[in-house]
Amino acid sequence: MNRALLGPYPRTISVGAVIVFGLAFALTDARHTTWEALLPLFEWMEATSPGVISQTYGAVFALVEAAHLIAMALLGGAVLVADGRLLGLILRDFSVSRVLDQSHRLFVWSLTAMILSGVFMACGVALKVYYLNVFWYKMLALVTGVFFVFFIRRPLLRGDVENMNPQLLRLVGIASLMIWFSVAATGRWIGFSG
Amino acid sequence: MDVFNQLIYDFAAWVDTHQWSTALHESFYVYNWIESTHVVALTLSLGMLFLIDLRMLGLAMADIPASTLARRLSLPMFLGFTVMIITGLLLFYAIPVRSAQSLWLRIKLVLLFAAAINAWLFHRRLRTAGQSWDTAVKAPVRLQVGASLSITLWVLIVICGRLIAYDWFDCRAEPSSFIATLAGCIADQEQF
Repeated sequence: MNRALLGPYPRTISVGAVIVFGLAFALTDARHTTWEALLPLFEWMEATSPGVISQTYGAVFALVEAAHLIAMALLGGAVLVADGRLLGLILRDFSVSRVLDQSHRLFVWSLTAMILSGVFMACGVALKVYYLNVFWYKMLALVTGVFFVFFIRRPLLRGDVENMNPQLLRLVGIASLMIWFSVAATGRWIGFSG
Repeated sequence: MDVFNQLIYDFAAWVDTHQWSTALHESFYVYNWIESTHVVALTLSLGMLFLIDLRMLGLAMADIPASTLARRLSLPMFLGFTVMIITGLLLFYAIPVRSAQSLWLRIKLVLLFAAAINAWLFHRRLRTAGQSWDTAVKAPVRLQVGASLSITLWVLIVICGRLIAYDWFDCRAEPSSFIATLAGCIADQEQF
């Protein structure tokens, strides 16, 4: 997109546009139509090799669940260290940018492991999760989290972080913690539903 | 072994008679909130522990001095472990007999004991190792061994924790006599 068209605040306008699009999607019939259109994808997922393996070998499914938990712990560690530093709670004698850069690599690796193990697990119970509201809440929280990290937090903190308003940094840290807590909590709740 | 298993069964069966134990088990929201808190606390404690261990191996946070990172992350890590122990005990309290006779919980407890000894040795080595290596990418070999062992033990603990939910070796499923002895099944037991 031509940046000149968006004026001096391209990122703010882009985020605003995404929020408006999200609200329009959630509040109109588009949400239901998309959900119905996704059914063949979930039926196909159950027939794939990961889906068949998950349904046939319970032990494999359980091990992938454990891998998912371990990836979640790693991701949690990366998020908590970064946000803890933004909130001024831990590693205060190291610069914000140093802690964020160091933890981001671990975040990317653990997120990749979490998504891979998560897709494998979803294939095994695709039709069950398709009809669970909480599964879609988790997907929404996950997409929000990924979007927040790569399109809001990273670009925002790529600048002169040390001279930024500490209140803004704290706000970013709190928002991040809330989003990732929602991902973990809704993910756990999938296990209790259905 | 039989006497030991009988003692554990008697204790679990006694806990099972508590009204609060039944109430906790039967409360959909409270039980699930405790279980969710157990998992979220795991994110805090294991997240910090893995960061410390990976730093010792030179795989994460390499720009931050290793011993400083270990010291600074210890408090949130112990906070997470404390919540995890409390919620873990509550989960046991809610389903005492099945938990006491879970093969996976028994293996998990042995592994937890091994992880605790390893953590104690690791911190002792950390104190005596000096700080000349602190900014190096990798810690001395002895600390790297401790960190690798810690990661391995905790990965196995998480796997066992996850497997507790499965009923493959439950006493009710009448496993082989070897598994039944390890799991602590009692002949003609009435409570499960």
